[in-house]
Amino acid sequence: METIVPKSSTVFATLFRADLATAVSNRRSVVISLLVPMIILITWKGLIKLIGGPAVLATSITIGLIAIGLMSYTLSIARDRDKGIFQRLRVAPVPTWAIMASRISIQMVMIIVLTLATFIIGYQYDGIALSAQGYILTFGVAILGGAVYLSLGQLIVGLIKNFETINATTRITYFLFIMVGMVGGIDSMNATVKKLVNFSPYGCVKMMLAGSMEASKWTSDTSTAVIVSIAYIVVFGGIGISKFKWNTK
Amino acid sequence: MTVTQDKYILKVEGLGVSYGNVVAVKNVGFSVLQGEIFGLLGPNGAGKTSTLSAIESLIKFKTGTIEVNGYDVQQKPLHARASMGVQLQSTSFQSELNVIQILQLFSGIYGVPMTKDKISQVLEEIGLADAGKKKFGQLSGGQQQRVSLVIATIHNPKLVLLDEPTTGLDPQSRRQLWERIEAIRDKGHSVLLTTHSMEEAEAVCDRIAIIDHGSVVAVDTPQALINRHKDDPEVIAVSRRGKVTLEDVFIALTGKTVRA
Repeated sequence: METIVPKSSTVFATLFRADLATAVSNRRSVVISLLVPMIILITWKGLIKLIGGPAVLATSITIGLIAIGLMSYTLSIARDRDKGIFQRLRVAPVPTWAIMASRISIQMVMIIVLTLATFIIGYQYDGIALSAQGYILTFGVAILGGAVYLSLGQLIVGLIKNFETINATTRITYFLFIMVGMVGGIDSMNATVKKLVNFSPYGCVKMMLAGSMEASKWTSDTSTAVIVSIAYIVVFGGIGISKFKWNTK
Repeated sequence: MTVTQDKYILKVEGLGVSYGNVVAVKNVGFSVLQGEIFGLLGPNGAGKTSTLSAIESLIKFKTGTIEVNGYDVQQKPLHARASMGVQLQSTSFQSELNVIQILQLFSGIYGVPMTKDKISQVLEEIGLADAGKKKFGQLSGGQQQRVSLVIATIHNPKLVLLDEPTTGLDPQSRRQLWERIEAIRDKGHSVLLTTHSMEEAEAVCDRIAIIDHGSVVAVDTPQALINRHKDDPEVIAVSRRGKVTLEDVFIALTGKTVRA
């Protein structure tokens, strides 16, 4: 009797269901990824008059994307590798791309939930309304921005094997990005430093989000940020994938 | 026992595995016939895990060939993997999933989706009828091994690989697992198991290969190995109770030095 290899689409759908069930069960990770952006959205209400509603929305989404890419994705990959869950899947007739595609798809779902939640709370609580075009474009940019942080997460799990080291690195990086965001907001900052901050992974995503929400804010710098973001994805993702090991030995 | 002498399910020939400059396996060869339990024995660091990893197509090897059910594991890895069921040394499943969800995941992956009734039936057969909603980590060691074994055989594979399946089990659970392994063989599957327990090898294996320093040093039935080596001076020297056991032969062939 000939051996039947299950269709890749069937395998992917099965993995996706299991990963979704895992994500839903692991509520703490979901809550952390969504809670911080919502806190920013609510506590920054007073800043709306000063910096504008879209800037507040952009900051909230950016922080949420960092949490998803660095904390949720990176730590789940590092943990499952550490526990040998990937090895168990790899001895089954599962293409390796299906394992990763399923994990990334879950994060994409989280990005969509985050963006929707930000829009809804931003509108309901802060009265921030965008045009229909702004909402659609922001969705696309949020996915692109999410890909930047997911690729950064991939870089971390590609270069580091030890779970505890990855855990510490993601937290430090998360903190660094928040600091970069704060430094970027200081007007008296040196122009070169400001430029570096603007085109850092944090600055690029925030700039793209702000530009996508208001067409008038889309400048040549925003277009450059799109190109730089794609470069980040290619470089971080490329190195992260090529260096990635499926086990910690 | 229905061993089919002329049909092998697993054939390893001239296998060589290296990690950088370190040679882990050199020129290893053996076959597992249809319907037999084949034991792979060796001290720590002998090359058992590397050999298993190569069979599971988890690592790329530089020399030799491995065929599982006629499929070359390097050229047709998915076909080879679909022909085998694997129980790894440390059973690793997502801790957030319960037993039913784990069974659904692996039955889906192997292309044999199971209905809830079928899952209930399977759980009842292994004495875990009430454990379906429990997380895998909440099960005892013996229960975890039973679930792992069910998953390894969920798709009716030609070859079942069991990596030290009874490590850490109490005598009752171990005996029960032996019976389950024999039941797998009696259904016509082939089993390749690694173990450090000579008692286990003697009790359940139809044939064994002893591997040391990356090479196979002996292949035969446990009794034939004992008979062949029982008069060797090295074997008599390590024999403890006047009667030569498989462990005596194993130690004589692989040395008394403790491995890392």
